Amino acid sequence: MSAQVALLIPLFPFLAFLLLIFGRRFWGEKAAAGIGIIATFASFAVTLPVLWGSLGKGQTITWSIPWFHLGEKAVFLSMRLEPVNVLMLVIVSGVSFLVHLYSYGYMRKDERFTVFYAYLTLFTFSMLGLVMSANLLQIYFFWELVGVCSFLLVGFWYFKPEAKEAARKAFVVTRIGDVGLFIAIALLYWHVGSFEVMDVKAAVLNGKLTPGIITLTAILIFVGAVGKSGQFPLHTWLPDAMEGPTPVSALIHAATMVAAGVYLVADLFFLFTASHQAMNVVAYVGGFTAIFAATIGVAQNDIKRVLAYSTVSQLGYMMLALGSTGYVAGMFHLMTHAFFKALLFLCAGAVIVSLHHEQDLRKMGGLWKTHRWLGYSFLIGCLAISGIPPFSGFFSKDEILESAYADGRTGLFIVGVLAAFFTAFYMFRLFFMVFAGQARGEKNREPVPRVMMVPILILAFMSIISGFFNTPGDRLAHWLTRTGTATISLEHAPVWISAVAIVVAAAGIFLAYAMYASERISPERVAKSVPWAYQVVYRKYYLDELYRAVLVWPLKGLGWILTGFDRFLIGGLVYLSAWIAQLVGRIGSRLQNGQAQTYVLISLIGFVILIVGLTAGRLFP
Amino acid sequence: MQLTSYLALSAILFSIGLYGVLTKRNAVIVLFCIELMLNAANLNFVAFSKFGLFPGLTGQVFTLFTITIAAAEAAVGIAILIALYRNVQSAEADRYDSMKG
Amino acid sequence: MNLSGEFIAFFVLSVMAIGGAVFMINMQRVMHMALALAFTFFSIAGIYLLLNAPFLAVIQVLIYTGAISILMLFGIMLTKHRYEEKSAVARWQGVIGFIGVACFLGVLMWTIYRTPLLSGQGNPKDFGIHQLGAAVFKEYAIPFEVASILLLVALVGAVILAKREENECS
Repeated sequence: MSAQVALLIPLFPFLAFLLLIFGRRFWGEKAAAGIGIIATFASFAVTLPVLWGSLGKGQTITWSIPWFHLGEKAVFLSMRLEPVNVLMLVIVSGVSFLVHLYSYGYMRKDERFTVFYAYLTLFTFSMLGLVMSANLLQIYFFWELVGVCSFLLVGFWYFKPEAKEAARKAFVVTRIGDVGLFIAIALLYWHVGSFEVMDVKAAVLNGKLTPGIITLTAILIFVGAVGKSGQFPLHTWLPDAMEGPTPVSALIHAATMVAAGVYLVADLFFLFTASHQAMNVVAYVGGFTAIFAATIGVAQNDIKRVLAYSTVSQLGYMMLALGSTGYVAGMFHLMTHAFFKALLFLCAGAVIVSLHHEQDLRKMGGLWKTHRWLGYSFLIGCLAISGIPPFSGFFSKDEILESAYADGRTGLFIVGVLAAFFTAFYMFRLFFMVFAGQARGEKNREPVPRVMMVPILILAFMSIISGFFNTPGDRLAHWLTRTGTATISLEHAPVWISAVAIVVAAAGIFLAYAMYASERISPERVAKSVPWAYQVVYRKYYLDELYRAVLVWPLKGLGWILTGFDRFLIGGLVYLSAWIAQLVGRIGSRLQNGQAQTYVLISLIGFVILIVGLTAGRLFP
Repeated sequence: MQLTSYLALSAILFSIGLYGVLTKRNAVIVLFCIELMLNAANLNFVAFSKFGLFPGLTGQVFTLFTITIAAAEAAVGIAILIALYRNVQSAEADRYDSMKG
Repeated sequence: MNLSGEFIAFFVLSVMAIGGAVFMINMQRVMHMALALAFTFFSIAGIYLLLNAPFLAVIQVLIYTGAISILMLFGIMLTKHRYEEKSAVARWQGVIGFIGVACFLGVLMWTIYRTPLLSGQGNPKDFGIHQLGAAVFKEYAIPFEVASILLLVALVGAVILAKREENECS
C-alpha cells in the first residue's frame, strides 16, 4: 500500500469540488449529485485497502515533501496514517458518501443544488486532509478550511436571516477557539522548532519541554478543540448551526467536523498525558458539558436542536473519556457516535421532509403508522445513543464510564451516569413525540424517497454492529494502541458499572414513556411544579443572553465609539480637505466675475508681488 | 529742484489714478482716472527732458504725441461708453460683466 | 534745501495737483469730480511751465482742461447716474485695491529714492517754442503725420460707435 494511493483519498473530493464549482451553471442536478457521490465513494473505496493494510500488516503510511522554507527550516507537507488517522478516514469518507447520497433526495429542487454539492465535496476534502495531516501547520490550515465550509453550509440558505446569523455566530465563536490553537502551534514551533507532530512528540517524550509549556500548549490546543467541538463555554454556536440543511447537520455538525476537536486531542494525546492539569481540564470540561447540554436537551422543542444538544453532550462524553486517559474509549465513542448521530440526523431530516419542513416537536406525532422503516431506524439510533445493549452506544459509553471510574474520578463517573439518564430521557421523549400517539399539526405525510432511506438503513446497520468492533476481545483497543500513541490498562472494571448504565438508561426510557407515550405523568405539570428550573433549562441557562450582555454589547459599544471616531474625526479631516479645495475653487470662480476692474486689481497685485519678488534681495542687503 | 520730486509727484498722481480705476463704479470716472494716469506719465517725460542724463526736446515731443493719443483715446472711450450705455442701460462698470465665464 | 521761488512754486502746484486728484476720488457727485480733475490738469500745466515747456503747458490747458473735460462732461450728461449704496463686493474690492495700490506706490517711491539717478540740467534756452517746432516738423515729421491719421481714424471711429444702430432706430 503506497503513500501515493492514500493521497488519492482527499484528491477525489477536491477534483469533484473543482468540477462542480467551475461548472455550476453547466451541471444538472443528476450530474452534480453523481459527481459528488462518485468522488466520495471513490475516496471511501480507497480507504478500505488502507484500512486493510493497517489492520492486517500493521502498516503506517508516511509521506512528506518540503512545502516551503521558514528561514533556515523547511516546513513539510506530510501525512502519517496511524490507526487513529485511518479510523477517522474510514468514518469521514463513509459518512460523507452516505450523506452525499442522502442529499440528492433532501436537497432536490433547490436552486443552488450544484453549489451545495460543491461545498459538501470541499468539506469532505478538507476533513480528509485534516485527519491525514502529520504537521501542525497543515492541520491548522485544514482546520480553518472545515470552519469555512461549515460557515458556507450553515449559511447556505442565506436568505433566511436566522441562517445568516447562525453562520456568522458559528464562524466567530469557533474563531475564538482557533486563536487558542494558533497560539499553541506558535508556542510549540518556538520551543520545538518544527511543526511535525512526530518531532513535537519526540520533544515531549525526551523532556525537552518544561511542564509549564506542556500544560499551557495542551490547554490552548484544548481551547481550539472546545471551539470546534462545541464544548462549554463555546457550545452556543452548535445548536444555532442547525439552521443549515439537515444533511449538513448530519455530516458536519454531528459526525465529522465537531468530532475534529476530539480527534485533535486524541492525535496530540502524548501532549495531554504529559500534563496532569491539562487532563483535569479536559475531563472536567467534558463532564460538565455532557451533563449541562443533556439537561438543556430535555426542554427543547425543535427536533434538530434536541439532536444538537445531544451532540454537544456526547462530545462532552468523549472529552471526559480522553481526560480520564480513556483514549480508546473516546475514539470508540467517536466512531459509534458518528454512526448513530448521523443516523438520527438523517432520520430527523426524513421526518422533516415528510412533514413539509415542520421542525417543531409539538406538531409531530403518529409517524409510526405511516413510516414504519423510518421508525425502526430512529428507534435503533435512540437505543444506541441511550446505551441499551446490544446497540453500539452501550459498549462505547460503558468504556467511557469504566475509564472514568478506573481513573478514580468518582464525581465525573456519577456525572456521566446522570448524563446517560438524561440522554435516554430526552432521546425517547423525542422518539415518542415524533412517532407515538396521534398526529398533531400537519396531517398530510409524504413518503420518504428511497435514495434517502438507503443511507439511513446502512447507518442503522452500522449503529447496531459497530459496538462489536471492540467487544468482545478489545480488537479496536489493540489496534489503536499498537503504535504506542497511548497505553491503556485493558483490565475490565467491575461488571456493576454496565448494570448501572443499563438500569439508568432504562429508567430514562421508562420516564419518557410515562410522560410522552402513555401520558400518565403530564409534562406540563412537571414543568409547572418547578417553573424556574424549567425556564432556566428552556432558555439554555441564559448563556446566550449572558454572552450578549458581557461580550457582544460592550464590543458593539466599542464599535460605535470607533465608528464615531472614524466618521467624525477622520471623516472630518477628509471633509475639511475637500472643503478647503472647494473654498479655493470658489474663490477662483468668484474672481472670474467678468468685471474688468477685478482683473486689473489681480494684475496689479501680481505685478506688485513680481516687483517685490525681483527686488526683495536688494531690500535686505 | 530735484528730479526725484517730480518723479514722486508723478508716482503719487499715477497711484491715485490707478486707485480710481480699480474702485470707481462709474465708467466716466474710470475714464477720468485713466486720463490722470496718462498725465502722470507725461509729467515724467517732461521732467526727464529737462533733468535727464541727456537733456533735450525729445521728451517734450513725446508728450505732445501722448496728448494727441490721449485726446483720441478719450473720444473713442466716450463713444464706446455711450454705445455700452445704450445696450446695458447703465454706466456702472460692475454691470459690464459679460466677460464672466 | 534752499527756499527758492521754484521750490515754492513746485510745492504749491504739486499740492494743488494732488489735492485736486484726491478730491476727484472722494467727491460724491460726478460733476464735482470733473471739475476737480480739470483743476488737477490745470496744476499740471503750471508744472510744465516750471519745467521750461510753455508750449506743452498751453496744449495741456487747451486739450485737457478744455477739450477732454468738456468731452467728459458730455459723456456724463449723456448717461444716467444713480447713487446707490455700494455693494459688499465693491467694498471688499476697495480695501484690496487700496492695499494693492499702496504697496505699488511704496515700491515705486522706494525705487525712485533709492536709485541714483544721474541727472543733468538742460539749458532753458534750448527749450524754446522754435526749437520744439523745428524738432516736430523736421525730425518727427512722419510720426506727426501718423498721429494726424490716428486722430482722423479716432474721430470717424467715435462717430460710428456712438451713432445709433440702424435696427435700433426702427
